Amino acid sequence: MLELSDLRKRFAGGPDAPDGKVALDGISFAVQPGEMFGFVGANGAGKTTTMRIVMGVLEADSGSVAWKGRPLEHADRRRFGYMPEERGLYQKMSVAEQVEYFGRLHGLGPSAARKATADLLERLGLTERRGDAVQALSLGNQQRVQLAVALVHDPELLVLDEPFSGLDPIAVDALVAVLQERCRGGVPVIFSSHQLELVERLCDSVGIVSSGRMVAAGTVAGLRSAEGGTLRVVVRDPAPGWADGLPGTVTVAGDRHELRAVDADDQEILRRALKAGRVEYFGVEQPTLTDIFKEAVA
Amino acid sequence: MNELMLVARREIVTQVRSRTFVIGLLVSAVLVAALAFAPKLFGGPDSYTLGVVNSQRLPVTAPQGATVEWRTYPDEAAARKALLDGDADAVVVNGSKVLSEGELDERLGVLLQVANREMKLDAQGVRVPPLQTEAVRADARYDAARGGMATTLTFLLFFTLVGQMMMVAMGVVEEKGSRIVEILLSSMKPWQLLGGKIAGLGVVGLINLVVIVCGGLGAATVSGLVVDFPPGMTGIVVGVLVWFLLGYVFYATLAAALASLVSRQEEVGSVMNPLMMALMGTYFVAFFAANEPNGTLAAVLSWVPPFSAMVMPVRMAATEIPLWEVAGSAAVMALAVAGALALGATVYRRAVLRTGARLKIRQVLSQR
Repeated sequence: MLELSDLRKRFAGGPDAPDGKVALDGISFAVQPGEMFGFVGANGAGKTTTMRIVMGVLEADSGSVAWKGRPLEHADRRRFGYMPEERGLYQKMSVAEQVEYFGRLHGLGPSAARKATADLLERLGLTERRGDAVQALSLGNQQRVQLAVALVHDPELLVLDEPFSGLDPIAVDALVAVLQERCRGGVPVIFSSHQLELVERLCDSVGIVSSGRMVAAGTVAGLRSAEGGTLRVVVRDPAPGWADGLPGTVTVAGDRHELRAVDADDQEILRRALKAGRVEYFGVEQPTLTDIFKEAVA
Repeated sequence: MNELMLVARREIVTQVRSRTFVIGLLVSAVLVAALAFAPKLFGGPDSYTLGVVNSQRLPVTAPQGATVEWRTYPDEAAARKALLDGDADAVVVNGSKVLSEGELDERLGVLLQVANREMKLDAQGVRVPPLQTEAVRADARYDAARGGMATTLTFLLFFTLVGQMMMVAMGVVEEKGSRIVEILLSSMKPWQLLGGKIAGLGVVGLINLVVIVCGGLGAATVSGLVVDFPPGMTGIVVGVLVWFLLGYVFYATLAAALASLVSRQEEVGSVMNPLMMALMGTYFVAFFAANEPNGTLAAVLSWVPPFSAMVMPVRMAATEIPLWEVAGSAAVMALAVAGALALGATVYRRAVLRTGARLKIRQVLSQR
């Protein structure tokens, strides 16, 4: 289990901000084995800073990161897989050599690194490009190589910063399949993304950060029920002023009146609606992650 | 240590396999080998063809390794034609003047004047015993070869140092700019990455030097120049390699530190300026030392790092230097290298993950 508690980080100020900028203002969360954790937040909210601290690329001013109950050390990080926000590969090195090299750096022996590379390239559909220089590949394929670099040593934890950005739907599916497979094998996966539907579909739990703070965290279902549903009623050609005194907001499109309300007496609203006209729709809509996100960072 | 070796190995393999490296190495080896033949090609002719018109042949003593051949022409017109055709180098006419195609070769002129005087004196029964020559310094007869070697060495050390130093700087910026460094540093310490890079590119530099020096020595053996080489060549070659390593680690570490301040390849040139100036300065001093190895400036600067890194090996090639002096100056340089390593590693560690605008060295050093 990975546990972050009360991480704080302030970046040194420049001429325009003499006091510096607070990047993290007490971030805490935990990721269980086999859990996929989605990290969402506006640009500059602190996702990348948090991930960089986990990977030891950046040092927190205070707070701690624990791995399996002990303070995280350099040796542990060698067994993590990391995909930084801005992709980095040696452009002139061949695909297979590159993946193999990172495997060796993460502690694999020569033959183990070669085998892991061959398997992974096969899995990611890169076998035919194994001898090509990275700069000759399309961006999507470079991204796959980047993923292979993060996965080659069979990491115990995956930290991926925006792994889906810039990928076509097919590449997204391939990446999702690989991540789910690792997750099922008990590896905790943390990834950040702006594609909220994807996060909603994939993740067991979600953390929403805003201005360096974790404003909402938990399972997607838990966040939904905490948020509560929205009652939505559509009435055709109702009597004027039918909704006077009812909570919520009414929008009119042609002869269709739509009322949306939260935390309202649904039975009372239904009775009034039936009396006013023909009810075409009546139901409680669960908020999407996008709704929850907008609500949380507002 | 294992990581450092892996990084070094990657640097070596990547460089050695690149076409630029192979071609560059071949070209430099050929150039240095050509230098070994240069004295033969550009030196004075090995034989003189001399002519006479209505005169006696002068008792010219051929210089060492040269031969003199005499021809007789019926009249001055025939002699002039032979000169223009390049059949003769000079023709003595009527025992009183010398014709040549262009300006008379200086050495040949002296030879002819001496022989003319000797013959005339001889005719009057005056005997002039030739002066005996003796060099006071034991190794004086190697001076010419030593001078040539020292000059060649100055070029060779300078270009190898500049090349490897720039390679280190470009490599650092490549990793920083593309953020590979983030992945690398999540699996190793900054000193391992920096050390591996410097070690690997240092080995590449050594390969360069060894191949070129061997090419030069091999060519000198073939061209016969090797007979002019002073004894103790092995010591000189080993000295050059050791001094190269000292200078290389000094400059490469500082180059890595400066390069870690910037994030884009285009900025490497400007950030490296101070170091390039220092290296140029070292080069000029070394060039001077090659010509005047026992001058005060050369003697003093062969003790001052980083000048000593080039001046000392160049002086070693140019003249005899007592061993204690070489060892002492090497020890001083090694101290400077240790200092550069400490400073360079600190700057690199603090700066290499801070991508974005160019950092100031003072700002990096004052950071806690």
